[in-house]
Amino acid sequence: MLRHRRIYVLPTRRGLALIATIAIMLVASMNYALALGFALTFLIAGLVAAALLHTYRNLNGLAVSPLGAGEAFAGTELVFTLSLGNASSARQGIIVATGSERSVSVDLAAGTTQIVQLVADAPYRGRQLLGRVTLWTDFPMGLWRGWAYVHFPLSGIVYPAPEAPAPPLPPGRDGSDARKSAHAAEAELAGLRDYQRGDPLNRIAWKAVARGAGWYSKQFEGAGGRGALQLEWADMPPGLDTEARLSRLTAWVLATEREARAFALRVPGVELPMGHGAAHRRAALTALALYRAG
Amino acid sequence: MIFAAAPVTPLTRIQLAWLGALVLLAQLTVASHVLPWVAAAGAALVLIRFVLAPDRLPSPRLRRLLLPLLAAAVAVAIRIKFGYLLGRDPCVAFLYVLVGIKYLETRNARDGGLLICLALFLLLTQFFYAQTIAAALLMLPALLVLGGALAALREAPADSEWKAPLVMTARMIAQGIPIAALLFIFFPRLAGPLWGMPTDAGARTGLSERMQPGTIGSLSLSDEVAFRVDFESAPPPPSLRYWRGPVLARFDGEAWTPFALLRRGQLARPAARTIDYTVTLEPHGQRWLFALEHPASMPSRTALDPAQSGGTDLAFLTFDQQLLAKAPITQAVRYAQRSSLDESFPAIDNVERRENLQLPLDRNPRTSEFARELRASVDSDRAFIAAILSKFRNEAYVYTLTPSPLGEEPVDGFLFDTKRGFCEHYASAFVVLLRAAGIPARVVTGYQGGEINPDGEYLIVRQSDAHAWAEVLLDGAWQRFDPTAAVAPSRIEHGIGAALPLTEPVPYLARLDMTWLKNLRLHWDAINYQWQRGVVGFNIDRQRNLLRDLGLGNARPWQIVALAAGVIVVWGAIVLGLARRRALRADPAAALWSLACRRLAHAGLRRSPEEGPLAYAQRAARRWPQWGALFARIGESYALLRYGPDSAQRGELIASLRASVASLPAARRLRTSS
Repeated sequence: MLRHRRIYVLPTRRGLALIATIAIMLVASMNYALALGFALTFLIAGLVAAALLHTYRNLNGLAVSPLGAGEAFAGTELVFTLSLGNASSARQGIIVATGSERSVSVDLAAGTTQIVQLVADAPYRGRQLLGRVTLWTDFPMGLWRGWAYVHFPLSGIVYPAPEAPAPPLPPGRDGSDARKSAHAAEAELAGLRDYQRGDPLNRIAWKAVARGAGWYSKQFEGAGGRGALQLEWADMPPGLDTEARLSRLTAWVLATEREARAFALRVPGVELPMGHGAAHRRAALTALALYRAG
Repeated sequence: MIFAAAPVTPLTRIQLAWLGALVLLAQLTVASHVLPWVAAAGAALVLIRFVLAPDRLPSPRLRRLLLPLLAAAVAVAIRIKFGYLLGRDPCVAFLYVLVGIKYLETRNARDGGLLICLALFLLLTQFFYAQTIAAALLMLPALLVLGGALAALREAPADSEWKAPLVMTARMIAQGIPIAALLFIFFPRLAGPLWGMPTDAGARTGLSERMQPGTIGSLSLSDEVAFRVDFESAPPPPSLRYWRGPVLARFDGEAWTPFALLRRGQLARPAARTIDYTVTLEPHGQRWLFALEHPASMPSRTALDPAQSGGTDLAFLTFDQQLLAKAPITQAVRYAQRSSLDESFPAIDNVERRENLQLPLDRNPRTSEFARELRASVDSDRAFIAAILSKFRNEAYVYTLTPSPLGEEPVDGFLFDTKRGFCEHYASAFVVLLRAAGIPARVVTGYQGGEINPDGEYLIVRQSDAHAWAEVLLDGAWQRFDPTAAVAPSRIEHGIGAALPLTEPVPYLARLDMTWLKNLRLHWDAINYQWQRGVVGFNIDRQRNLLRDLGLGNARPWQIVALAAGVIVVWGAIVLGLARRRALRADPAAALWSLACRRLAHAGLRRSPEEGPLAYAQRAARRWPQWGALFARIGESYALLRYGPDSAQRGELIASLRASVASLPAARRLRTSS
């Protein structure tokens, strides 16, 4: 949890224009000795000053905390999740932005907490840091812009982009791949689970969607050993460079999931034993995401 | 990224409505001061934009081209009407229309911001014309809408809700009032303008340097206040209230004007009867400062100082006992003054004698002839004067605001044909008669009388009290004679309302009937006088006096700035504190819960954002078992209040939560006991 005391406030362009107008009105009031001109000018100045306080208050005491980071394939988008907690009265028009162009605008009622999802471009594989988050606001009058920076050690995993179209899976270790893979499509449906961002389209339980029951993904239980695969860095065609190899392996890992087959993965530095299931697949993808040559 | 320009999106209808309301309200404040066609055109431009559907207006690109042409056309029309462009009236008229033109072509939020700045400046211009209470009240609606327009420009409102933005603005203006008051009191004022005033800024009602038949009569039709006077002691009787203004000694047969050469003079030696008072003079665009005859001190912005005789920073005294300010009076000025209530003062030398015998030779021959014959038939100057006054008193002379037209020779016409005239006719004829008989005399203009306002005990002198009388050099002294008193003695005692029949066009505040209405107006004038003294008249002198009264008379500028900075910091803390207290009122449960969470966090046990109140309370109870029951009570009450059904016991629950939170041990105690 973080309470930021370092809030900066500067006038916006409109605020500067208004301040300049106030200055001109002041000079006119001085020259013509207009007491009510002074009164009007200073009332507006008081309004501008009060707006500054309100802009500051809109950010002051806001509790920002990291909740988690998602996972993504390179070239898609990575989602970071933060929570904004507001213990005092309502706040409006708080904009949460990362380095990218995309930002989220949040209104917080008094005493509430809101979950904010920040979407960031994920161009490269590897561990992607959230980086500096800017919270800013020009509430209530757009005359002042208050902002504060927060840093969280929050990072998401970006997997290599799967090669598309990818060559078919390499033959299985026991050489009986063709026969078994024919059965793979008929792998038994083990059940449904909640749809998660990133689940492949062909795994979505469309019947359930059509019924209006919600979004679910089909879970297949691949029988261990049936059509088990050994995915080897070293088996790649020698002409491929590192990233292309990682892309192909990623595509293959995803293909094993589609076809419900167990696999083992060996890349330089990482060796995953034969296994299947979501955790295994994630471990494999993570290993590919974090692969470092040499 | 933070300072990236906002995307340029066209304004929504609701945003346009806010801006339109602001512009119209700003225009409304000056509409009565600009020409009718200007007022109508400026407002019509705003209405056209708002009433016509967007597709019936010329395209934005066409508007961008057309509107500068329109602005130029308006400028030309105004130039033709006024004959000049760089004056107050044409500039205000042009700004008035320009705001409408700008509204017509406003497309995006940036245009909107510029429009707001223009409208605010237009709002200021009304004070060039009037600084009354009404004018001050008239600016308030526009100020309220200003906040709504700014908020609407920040984010396009989803609905036409208009109350909430106005309430928010009102609250923010109220919060800003301490800053406004601080600036109003401490912001340094100038003694004079930074640059020259536009020539028309000084054109106001009041006495002028030129008196011809009808001048003062037309001034007498005005109810406007010329000045107000606070007396230190009982005010003098009406017959002694002669407020000396321009002294006119040159006559061309029709009009009276002053001598071009103004020599400095000496103050009259104070007589037994002196009187001290303070004059608050409305700006009249001329240089005279009015004082009771005859001034025994120089006017002083601060306390009275009779030792100063040559002149002060405010004014100097001329040889003919006029008080002349160093610059035209363009803002209300307040000065302390002492007068000696004599009807005469010593003349300086023989030059004055020669100058005040001048008459155009070939004008008003019947008058000259009559004067010479009359002088020959009496044995002294005083008898001659008495004869003239008794002629006015006994013959069929009429005191009237509506004299008959006079012929080629106005004095002849008045004296022998029409015999109907106002004070300037009598004063002029009287002086001409004396000069023709070889007696030095001159016309003095100013105000005579005034009305005591029982509500506040001060004297109001209006333009309808404008008067002209005569001064005669007898036995080495200038002696006051008022020929009007001979024909209409009640004018001197009770004002023109008493001296003129009800059929005359006397301004109604000068009349003697309609008392309840007059009483109302007197109360209103008392309020206005306070307003004039306290707010409008708050100038460099009053600022200095106030600082002295506050004990800051000798403070250096940086000390005042430091003081103001301190006040601003305190103000900010208070306003932010008020916001917190409002939150407490709005949602006491959340505020109390957050207080408890802060206390525990301070003691080292932070609530994680996803942790519910019950779980957090349990965690706290595990850490500090001795207060476990208290934590549990807090967590449960809060959970019930927040997530439970709306029940009738809400008030009790809040009270119990408040009691529990109040009995939470201090953070330090928690820290040491874990």
